[in-house]
Amino acid sequence: MKLNKLALAAMIGLSASGYSQAVEVELSITNLTHANYMTPRLAIAHDASVDAFEVGTEASTALAWLAEAGVIDDAQNADSSGQNFEAALGPVDTDNGSNTWHRFGGLLAPSSTLTYSFDTMDKPYFSLLTMLIPSNDAFAGLDSIMIPSEPGTYTYYLNAYDAGTELNDELNSTRTDITEEGGLPLGGYGVPGVAGAGAPNIAPSMGTGGTGVAVTVGFDENGDPLASPTEVVDGTDGPVHIHRNTLGDTSLTDGSSDLDSTVHRWLNPVARVTIVVPAS
Amino acid sequence: MKTTILKLSSLALLVALAAGCVDDGEQGPVGPQGVQGPAGQDGADGQDGADGADGQDGDDGNNGQSGNLAVYTVSITNLTYGQPFSPASVVAHEPGYYAFVPGEPASVALEMLAEGGNASGLIDEATQSVEFLDAQQGAGTPPRSIGSETTLVVPTLDTDNLRVSVLTMLVDTNDAFTGLNAMDISNMEVGDQKAFMTVSWDSGTEANLETADTMPGPAAGAAGGGGASAGFSAVRDDVVDAVHVHRGVVTNENVSDPSREGLATSVLNESDRWDNPTAKIVVTRTR
Repeated sequence: MKLNKLALAAMIGLSASGYSQAVEVELSITNLTHANYMTPRLAIAHDASVDAFEVGTEASTALAWLAEAGVIDDAQNADSSGQNFEAALGPVDTDNGSNTWHRFGGLLAPSSTLTYSFDTMDKPYFSLLTMLIPSNDAFAGLDSIMIPSEPGTYTYYLNAYDAGTELNDELNSTRTDITEEGGLPLGGYGVPGVAGAGAPNIAPSMGTGGTGVAVTVGFDENGDPLASPTEVVDGTDGPVHIHRNTLGDTSLTDGSSDLDSTVHRWLNPVARVTIVVPAS
Repeated sequence: MKTTILKLSSLALLVALAAGCVDDGEQGPVGPQGVQGPAGQDGADGQDGADGADGQDGDDGNNGQSGNLAVYTVSITNLTYGQPFSPASVVAHEPGYYAFVPGEPASVALEMLAEGGNASGLIDEATQSVEFLDAQQGAGTPPRSIGSETTLVVPTLDTDNLRVSVLTMLVDTNDAFTGLNAMDISNMEVGDQKAFMTVSWDSGTEANLETADTMPGPAAGAAGGGGASAGFSAVRDDVVDAVHVHRGVVTNENVSDPSREGLATSVLNESDRWDNPTAKIVVTRTR
């Protein structure tokens, strides 16, 4: 009898510690903004050696790709190969030692929620990043939270950060009347202009004709005229910091911004993430 | 006779002793103990003693029925520069009731609070839910001030799994509100205090035109509108009919500036803006 009881106690002890982190957690994200879409989500379970972003430090090239163009891996954009998070972290959906990650695809519309299952593969920390569009280089981030081990529902509110890799000119990337200094078209990674392409049109949509917010068309960052009055400089405003929000304006054809001040602004938090750890 | 015999024998003893030790013979030996006499008679009873001192007071008795109720106070601090808060809906309840769900359309009761500052619908809605425990309507809270306390009373049995929902409108807006949504205040001991910083939500039920005839507060009133008639409207004309984090008010600042940043129809100015958090809500268990 005594032996039986001891054996039972030992078994209970084992099962109590058995639900550590080796579980598929249920991951939900809600877009809390008024009118900003969110690009495919990068979910990373990782150890202390991985830091997808850190306020006060310069953004990595991988973070710049995510924050300026919404790009995480080669499949989304071949030009990003070798520079994106896939290059930084390793192959998708495998145990890369220090991490495992997944791209949860599709745009997340304002006020909508998406839920996924994510295998954390025993990693202790979790990070999540997604770009806010339309914006120059704004992203919502969850920075290295400890993955809970007790079964339950855990809620986190995410702030919007500025990757600091691009000046917030708030210029529509589809415009052809202006170009980057040197003649390259606007938009995407490493060039001025907000990434808004791909987002469904919501009324009222983005304008054109803006003269630039954080930097003005035809002038450099110091206000000195450029060689061409239709070019925009590509500057930076890093390191990574809490985003100061977009300015926008109320004109679709002129004013300083191609964003709408009555539509495209936000205040923190911009997203809600819940993690459900199931009972073992 | 007996005594004589004894004396004789003692003499013989004495002689024997005298041979061993030099005895002067002056002191004789101690005689044997006499027979015990009969017992004496009982004495008379003594007089009664004086009265003793009073005993100590007994322990207090247990509390009556009211001892099974826990009491909480809720205070709201308005952290904004210029947005008055409407009278708040303050509700204690069990888990399961939500005044709103982010990303979902607002209830009509919430719409009444968020557009018109009227808390009665939310309190009615909460009262009818099975999770309901207690509700109060607080006073309004002016900008930059600590509001008056409201008091909630719930059965002690419910204190181990207790939620509080507090909602109040930012009245110089179309449909902004702030507060707590089913916040966990379980297992607070008497004297414990919990403080929460809250963000402002847009109920998603009204376009943010910021005009005098769509907002109930003093800013609209100063522009010839405001009041109840400018508050609640059943029409839902926001871009997305869902509760989301408020993006702030645009105001009419810089409306004629080349930036075109300002909103020409707005009766608000830069002093009506805010950033999160907009309120600090303190819950204290007092019994």
